[in-house]
Amino acid sequence: MRTRGKVHILMLVLAVCWGLFACAGDEEDTGGSAQAIDPLTAEWEDILAQAEGSTVTFYMYGGWAHVNDWIDTYVAGELKTRYNITLERVPMDAAVFVNKLLTEKAAGQEQGSIDMMWINGENFRNAMEAELLFGPYAEKLPNFQAYVDPDSVAYDFGFPTNGYESPYGKAQFVFEYDSDRVENPPRSYEELLAWVEENPGRFTYPQPPDFTGSAFIRQAFYAVSGGHEPYMTGFDQALFDQGAGELWDYLQAMRPHLWQEGSSYPKDSAALDTLFARGEVDLNMSYHPIHAQSKIIEGTYPETVRTLVMAEGSIYNIHYTAIAANAPNPAGAMVVADFLLSPEAQLSKLDPANWGDFPVLDPAKLPEDIREAFAALDLGQATLPVDDLVPVAVPEVPSDYVEALEKGWDENVLQ
Amino acid sequence: MRTLIKLSPLLIPFCVLFLGGMVLAVAQSLGFFAPLEAEGGLFAAYSRLLEPPFLRSFGFSLYVALVSALVSVGLGSVLAYGVWKLPASLQKTATLYKVPLILPHIAVAFMILVFWTKSGVFASLAFHVGLIDSAGEFPSVLYSGNGLGMILAYVYKETPFVILLALAMLKRLDPRLIQTAVMFGASRPRIFISVVLPHLKPVLHTTFIILFLYSFGAFDIPFLLGESSPAMVSIEAYNLYFQRDLSNRPAAMAMLVVMFLFAALFIGIYARVVSRMEMRERKL
Amino acid sequence: MKHWLYMALLVVLFVAPLLALVVYALAPGWRFPDLWPHAWSMRTIEQVFMGPQTSRIFSHLLWSVVYSLLTTGATLAICLVPAQHLARHEFSGKRVLEALLLAPALVPAMTFSMGVHFAFIKLGLADTLPGVVLVLTVFSYPYMLRALVAGYQAFGREYELCAANLGAGFFQRLLSVELPLILPSAIAGGSVVFLVAFSEYFLVFLIGGGAVPSYTGYLFPILNSSDRALGSMLTLVFLLVPLLLFVLTDVVVTRAYRKRGMY
Repeated sequence: MRTRGKVHILMLVLAVCWGLFACAGDEEDTGGSAQAIDPLTAEWEDILAQAEGSTVTFYMYGGWAHVNDWIDTYVAGELKTRYNITLERVPMDAAVFVNKLLTEKAAGQEQGSIDMMWINGENFRNAMEAELLFGPYAEKLPNFQAYVDPDSVAYDFGFPTNGYESPYGKAQFVFEYDSDRVENPPRSYEELLAWVEENPGRFTYPQPPDFTGSAFIRQAFYAVSGGHEPYMTGFDQALFDQGAGELWDYLQAMRPHLWQEGSSYPKDSAALDTLFARGEVDLNMSYHPIHAQSKIIEGTYPETVRTLVMAEGSIYNIHYTAIAANAPNPAGAMVVADFLLSPEAQLSKLDPANWGDFPVLDPAKLPEDIREAFAALDLGQATLPVDDLVPVAVPEVPSDYVEALEKGWDENVLQ
Repeated sequence: MRTLIKLSPLLIPFCVLFLGGMVLAVAQSLGFFAPLEAEGGLFAAYSRLLEPPFLRSFGFSLYVALVSALVSVGLGSVLAYGVWKLPASLQKTATLYKVPLILPHIAVAFMILVFWTKSGVFASLAFHVGLIDSAGEFPSVLYSGNGLGMILAYVYKETPFVILLALAMLKRLDPRLIQTAVMFGASRPRIFISVVLPHLKPVLHTTFIILFLYSFGAFDIPFLLGESSPAMVSIEAYNLYFQRDLSNRPAAMAMLVVMFLFAALFIGIYARVVSRMEMRERKL
Repeated sequence: MKHWLYMALLVVLFVAPLLALVVYALAPGWRFPDLWPHAWSMRTIEQVFMGPQTSRIFSHLLWSVVYSLLTTGATLAICLVPAQHLARHEFSGKRVLEALLLAPALVPAMTFSMGVHFAFIKLGLADTLPGVVLVLTVFSYPYMLRALVAGYQAFGREYELCAANLGAGFFQRLLSVELPLILPSAIAGGSVVFLVAFSEYFLVFLIGGGAVPSYTGYLFPILNSSDRALGSMLTLVFLLVPLLLFVLTDVVVTRAYRKRGMY
């Protein structure tokens, strides 16, 4: 009898397992219930009502621990208390989730699992061209209407945004160095090459198509081929071949003196940050001017780290959030996108202790007290003052160039 | 018929998911179900694999898998023999060798990072012993283009697996054989080679196949420790599939199919060669 | 003495690396060229057990445990009857079939999983728990099958025949005779299956698509980041689950068998 009792328990456990299995399946099927309203035409109140109590998945690059923490604590917490929305952050590279959407579209899946994405540049263009995005929704967001200058966010890497993504933050490319170790860091791309030759093994860049590594070669592209202006009007093969040729020469000249003699590159910016933090290379780079200060606060970088920009120019861009066309919860995603644009969220995001990402709001549209709060925030001694950043700021290249450069890098520098 | 019914709980998922997945992978490599219209004929994706970059990746994967499987099998069998010789009182404590078995591959890769980077634990040791004066002088174990980082990770993860299986086999070895050999004056290496290894041979062949194929096709460890160029085939396929534009999908799937075909072929050839060698030995 | 030296070698090779992780976890500032950290800190303990990420960390861990247990259950369910048949009966083509059935654990898992991914999206199985469990099951059942076949071979059909002669029906035989006898093998195979499923990163990432949380998925970006201390602490937490589980099954099974006087 006893034996049978045990066995029955075992069978019961198995049955419960399979039951769970089935339930989980059902839950997944009904997870994003049918849309009662069309969020593109509905009133904002109705969108808020629809979003209340829902879950929003946010797919984003997961390599920056401080950004993850900010999303998981501040953003998720505020969304819960304000709108009763549960935010699920999912770490994934932008190219990977765009590909995921493409695969889903090819398979004819009408409802996916991605609500919101952190995206820009060529990933945005790819997603637009394949009609993977929900919109136009940006102009519907109350905080967009109140605080954003629409002209400043009309283009993303030369590609019209058309309201299919809403602004999230502003970034500019800087280099980082430890002023204790490096007294005279290179301040132009010309000096950089000489510096790398004199300090073999002490410099490298993330392997494109990593976002930061790709931005590094774009900046070098401008620097060695005479500035950004010629490229602004759209893709021109002849122009590209000429400029790219000079770029490959420049990077090839640098390659033997790189970390690991250029036989290997850090896989992404997180990997390069690690090398820099541990003193294996002397120069680091970031698309976030306040990144170094955040790392100092976190305790990963020494207090003596400083940032600099190259004389030939430093790329700036605006990064965005977008909503998937097959999103299970577009209304919820709109509410989250709107919250990220609120002055409170943008202010919290600027704080180096949180993330240190520049706001996308138009200062002229902000109320006095908020403008003062932004101005009063201490960005830390590692961060360059805006007066140093603005004069060298140059726009991003149209996204066709980005892909051509990444592919060309593979063929001409890596191999 | 009865056999088929009895086996059906296994055969159905095997056919539908495993074989079905294979068929779909082949179909996608030929350009079916691709998100973009395929160009250049049915086997266009495969012709791309004949170019030097892929061949280099393929050769590199072979090399990493071969070295790590050989070292693991060699080290594992020696260590297993050592554990077997321990007195019974220590046998239980010796199961500590199983620790890496429960570590996930990504954690093992992380541990290799912790120990072997130019500023890692071994670099600190070398500094204190006086071998190096700065982190930069520490030899490039990782990311130097020779796959050493991945090999170290696989060896650390796989050696306990070899010990586990070899030890199970050794339990069936009659200790008197060894005593006899000792009486005849055989040296310790001699005993290992002439008595222990032949006994272990079948299990070592199996583990070698398992480990070799795993390291050849796995993704987790190269994703953390892999080098830019040449990259392991699994990473190449992943990058093509996820990081590049859609026209590369068939090529990515073709790489995976080639990987599978190689694995299948390898098992077949290896089994045949081993059995033939055994036949010859028996004749002798 | 010689034996102790050998034990020391085993410890240095296989356990010491873990101790380094413990040191790292408790001393985030440990860096080159210090042989031993200057300062200790509870930061990672706070981050993992009392911080804002705590609930996320443990919910990911729980999900991993759930899909790994489900996978273990599923492999047991599909292997039980076929294993018995393979162990007890001869039929033509058996060797080939046995070899074929072991293939999923041998050949690179990426090929079939990326092939099946497309079909899973069509079927609505991608990004769901059942989808993840199915793929993990196909990837890991050979371990269960091997263990069960070996288990069935170890004892003959006598028990079953005896029970049949005493009038026990099919299900009663299965429940009261077969299962208790095969349980040790099922646990041995199940431990391996659980471990394989629990440690897997790529398959869960691919089929789960981030919608099915997993501990390895949570861990990966951190292992790749500059925070070695947090990576170390989370790796140690990872180890706890299989350890706990194995101790637990060991205790439960031993006790059950002892009670019945079978051990």
